[in-house]
Amino acid sequence: MNLLQLASLAWRNLWRQRRRTLLTLSSIAFGGFLAVMFTALEDLSFADFINTAARLGSGHVAMQHPEYHDTPTLTRSLTDTTAKVALAGADPATSHTVERTVGQTMVATANDSFGALFIAYDPAKETADTFAFTDSIAEGKLFASPDDKGIILGEVLAKNLDAQLGDKVVFTMTDRNGEIVTGMERLVGTVHSGAPSLDAGLCLLPIGTVRKLVGYAPDEATQVAVFLKDGRDAPKVAGRLTGSVGPDVAVLTWDQIQPEIRSFIAAKIGGTIVMEVIIALLVAAGIFNTIFMSVMERSREFGIMLALGYTARQLFVLVMLESTFLAGMGLASAVAITAWPYSWAAEHGIDLTQVYAEQGLNTMEISGVGMSPIMRIGIYPENAVIIAVAIVLATITAGIYPAWKAGRVNPVESINLA
Amino acid sequence: MSQNPLIRFEQVTKVYRKGALETQALRGLDLSVQSGEFVALWGPSGSGKTTALNLVGALDVPTTGKVYIEGTDLGSLSRAQLSQLRRDRIGFVFQAYNLIPVLSAYENAEAVMVLQGVPAAQRRERVMGLLKDVGLEGMEHRRPYELSGGQQQRVAIARAIAANPAVVLADEPTANVDSETAEKLLAIMAGLNRERGVTFVFSTHDPRVMKYARRLVGLIDGKVATDVVKEAGA
Repeated sequence: MNLLQLASLAWRNLWRQRRRTLLTLSSIAFGGFLAVMFTALEDLSFADFINTAARLGSGHVAMQHPEYHDTPTLTRSLTDTTAKVALAGADPATSHTVERTVGQTMVATANDSFGALFIAYDPAKETADTFAFTDSIAEGKLFASPDDKGIILGEVLAKNLDAQLGDKVVFTMTDRNGEIVTGMERLVGTVHSGAPSLDAGLCLLPIGTVRKLVGYAPDEATQVAVFLKDGRDAPKVAGRLTGSVGPDVAVLTWDQIQPEIRSFIAAKIGGTIVMEVIIALLVAAGIFNTIFMSVMERSREFGIMLALGYTARQLFVLVMLESTFLAGMGLASAVAITAWPYSWAAEHGIDLTQVYAEQGLNTMEISGVGMSPIMRIGIYPENAVIIAVAIVLATITAGIYPAWKAGRVNPVESINLA
Repeated sequence: MSQNPLIRFEQVTKVYRKGALETQALRGLDLSVQSGEFVALWGPSGSGKTTALNLVGALDVPTTGKVYIEGTDLGSLSRAQLSQLRRDRIGFVFQAYNLIPVLSAYENAEAVMVLQGVPAAQRRERVMGLLKDVGLEGMEHRRPYELSGGQQQRVAIARAIAANPAVVLADEPTANVDSETAEKLLAIMAGLNRERGVTFVFSTHDPRVMKYARRLVGLIDGKVATDVVKEAGA
C-alpha cells in the first residue's frame, strides 16, 4: 500500500468525526491566532520602542570615548568624527549617522535654575528619523543651522523655570578640560517628548554653539550615533565597527547604553513566551487527547487491519498522516481566522488610551521613553514562520504516541475474538 | 490425509492469564486440515474453537506446541513475516463483519489486494467478479453503514477471498444474521469452496454451518473430541 492510498484513508478517517475534527481545528486555529497576535504586538511595539529610544538617545549603535559610558563628561570626547561618521555610514545596515554632544548642564533663568541633560545636534543633518525632538516641538521653532542662536527646553522644564519664548536662559557646563563654562541664549522653543522625565530635564542646543563654548574642534563630539534600517542588526553592526575603529573608541549597542530598556523588553518577552508556551501546551494536550481518543476508539478497527495484513508501521504512518492533515488544516484555519483581525490591528492599532486613563496616565514612560497609547502590531516574518512551524510540529508530535499505540494493538483483544 | 497438510496443530496448548486467574483454552490440540476442505470446528463455549482460529490466523501464539501453515512453523516467523502471512495466505471473516467504515464495499473488498500491490485493473476485475458472486453487484460504492448486516458479511467474504488466500478462517460468520441470510452466506461460501477450491475453516455453534460443512471437528475442553468427514453428497 503506497503513501497516497494511506493518505486517502487518513483523510477519510479525519472526517468520520466531523464535529471533533472541527473542534480540534478550531483549538489549533485559536492557539495560532493568540500566538500571532501576542507576538505581533510585541514585535512592532518593541521595534517602535527601540527606535524611539534610539531617536531620543544615541542611535541603535553609538561610537564614543571608552570611558564616556561610565563617566559621561565632556572631557571624554571623540575626535575625527567626520571620518567615523563616514565609516559607519558605509555599513550596508546603516540608514543614518550623525554626531552629537551630550552632557549635563545647569540651566537658569531670572526665576529659577534646574539641572538638565543637554543634547547638542546639527540641525542640518538631523531629521525625524534620527532625532525624536524634531517632530516634538510644542512651542516656538527648531534650530536652522549648527551655529544658530537660541536654546530649546523641555516644556515642563521651561514651565518650571517660568521661561517664556524670548527669555534669556543661562546654561553652565564643563568644557573639554573640565573647567566650568557658561553660555546664554534666548528661549526659541519648547518640546513635548511624551516622556515626563525628559520634558522636565532636557535642553537642546546647536552643536556649533556648544563646540565653541566647550572648546571642541569642528570634528569633535561626545558621540557618533548610528541608526540602522533594522534595530535588530545592532550587535552585528557594532561588531563590524569595533573591528574597524580600534580600541580607542567604544562601540555600544542601544541596549548596552540603555540596559534598563533591554531588561524591560526581556521581561515582557519572557512573560509572553511563558504565556505562549502555556497556550501551546494546552493546545497540544487538546490535540493529543483528540488523536489518542480517536485511536483508542478505533482499536478494534486497527486490530482488524492488522489481521488483514496491515503492518504496525503502516498503521503508524496512517495515524501520523491524520496528524499531519490536522496540522496543515489547523495552520490554514489559523491563517484564516487571524488574517482579518491582524490586518485591521496593523492598520488601525489597538487604542489603549482608556487603559492608560484608568491608570491615571496620559502617557506611559519606560526608562525615559514614552510609549504611545496606540499599540500597533506587526510580526517579523521569521517569527511568523516559527509560529507556523511550532503549530505543525506540536500537532504532528501529539500524534506520535497514538500512532505508535495504533500499531501495537493486540488483534485478539481488540477484535474480542478470545 | 496427505503428507503436507495446509494447517497443522501439533500438541498445542493455550493458557490465558488474567491476574491470578488462568484459563486453559487448548489442551494439547492435534489437528490437520487439507487444502480445499470445508471444515467446521464446533463445540460448546469455551471449547477452544476461536482460540484455534486465532492461532492458525497468526493473531495469537500458543503457550506450548506448534502451529504450521503450509509446513511453516508460525512460531519461527517475525512480526513482519506474520503480517505478510496474514496478508497473503489467510482470509478472515468475522462474526461482526468488521469492515473498514470509511471504505466502500468495493474498497473493502480490494483492501488486501491493495496491500499486496496488485495493479488496479487486476483488482477491479477480481473484485467486481467477486461482488457479483456474492450478490452485491451494483452496491460497490456503498459504505458499510449503507448495507444490511448480511450484505456487509458478503463484502467481508469477498474481502477474505479476494487475494486468493490459502485458507479462509470464519469465526461464527452467521451469528449476527437472520436465518435466510445465513443460508445464503453459507451457500456462497460453499460455492466458493466447490468452484474456486477455497479452503474454509469455521468456528460455529450454528447447525446450518454444520449442514454445509464437509468435515466436522468437535472440540471439547480444548481437545478434539470428534472428527467426522461427511460422505460426498451427505
